[in-house]
Amino acid sequence: MIQDSFTLTFPHEKFYASRNNFAPESLLVSALVYSLAVSISSNFIPLILVLILPVMIVCVKKFQVSSLLKLNIINLVMIITLALTWPVFLDGVKMGMLITLRLNMIYIVCEYMIFPLGITGIYEALYALRVPEKLRVLIILTLRGIFIMRERLETALISVKLRAPNLKGIMKLKVFASILASVLLQSSSHSERMMQAVILRGGFTGFSQSEREGLKLGDMLLIVSFMLYAAVVMKCNYI
Amino acid sequence: MHISEGILSGSVLIAGWAGTTAGIAYGLRKTESEKIVRTALISSAFFLASLVNVRIGPSSTHLTLLAPMGLILGYSVFPAVFVALLLQALLFHFGGLLVLGANTFIMGISALSVYILFGKVIRESDKKFLTFTISFIAGALAVMLGAFLVGLFLGLTDGNFLTAAKIIIVAHVPLALIEGIVTGFLISWLKKSSPEVLS
Repeated sequence: MIQDSFTLTFPHEKFYASRNNFAPESLLVSALVYSLAVSISSNFIPLILVLILPVMIVCVKKFQVSSLLKLNIINLVMIITLALTWPVFLDGVKMGMLITLRLNMIYIVCEYMIFPLGITGIYEALYALRVPEKLRVLIILTLRGIFIMRERLETALISVKLRAPNLKGIMKLKVFASILASVLLQSSSHSERMMQAVILRGGFTGFSQSEREGLKLGDMLLIVSFMLYAAVVMKCNYI
Repeated sequence: MHISEGILSGSVLIAGWAGTTAGIAYGLRKTESEKIVRTALISSAFFLASLVNVRIGPSSTHLTLLAPMGLILGYSVFPAVFVALLLQALLFHFGGLLVLGANTFIMGISALSVYILFGKVIRESDKKFLTFTISFIAGALAVMLGAFLVGLFLGLTDGNFLTAAKIIIVAHVPLALIEGIVTGFLISWLKKSSPEVLS
């Protein structure tokens, strides 16, 4: 019942921020403001307005449109479902197309503005946006935990597969559950000991970070221009 | 169980973020510094569960581990779900960043409800079969509650989504059964070997 797991390779390059002219927080906020504007656009004029940015990214920055393929294949299922379940078939198709358009626009802008920041960039952005330290530390520890648990789970699953290759049905689920529970306990006790050591040496769970400069003029202009853009789009929605 | 970007209306997105912010704030207050490592590990397990494919007939789905998360973490479940979904959105582009609020709320509330309903009973039960049965119900209920909330969010966006929402709920029944079995065995194992882990 449970297939070979964890064969998925981790995109390590996504952990580190690529160099950018703008501060991560300004890129994050601007992209989210844009995404909100797209999400509430349902009329023709606002949709044309929000299309400008992704079209510019695709044309000027030579965006790889092929990366949208997988996204749209999954979306095709959604369009068919909506078409079949909507009271009027054509309205369902229209709704499906609208969602697909919005999804693609948001994806292109996020792929250009947010995803290149990597986890480190997002962490910096959250720090600048005054997100509580506990939550930021949780992100870092979770990322670390993923690697620890993945390695242990992978080893345990391989050994089970070698010892009992013909496990099926409920027995397979039982074995998986007990492996997961034991890996969780092992990792938990090990990590908690490590954390106690850190606390005993005088450190809280957080990591000190030097005070960053405030937003530059360019960052402020970026955020303000995106907010104005979103405001215009929202206004056009009611025309 | 992820809702994609571009589906929910602005007001539903904002409502999702409001609920999630409240849940995270309360969850962080309830999370002691010493317990943050355990919270992170459960969050990692939730992340990894999405990589485990479970075959159901011709199709396949992935585990969510919502009920074990709720039963182990209690009120700290909201920050854990948020972090795992954030990492999924950044690394694998599952869901999205704007819809992260709604997705966190859906899964966080499902896990928390299970904790409130069954947490005490499971902690106090001393019979193996009873623990398994209640955990099974908790696991299945968490998935069905999540599916119901996905349907509710879609329905609040547009009433015409309701038929699709019903299909989503029905499609989650096989996963709920599998999740129930995994939760039953997992919680029984933890209760036997390390009962103090359960919140």
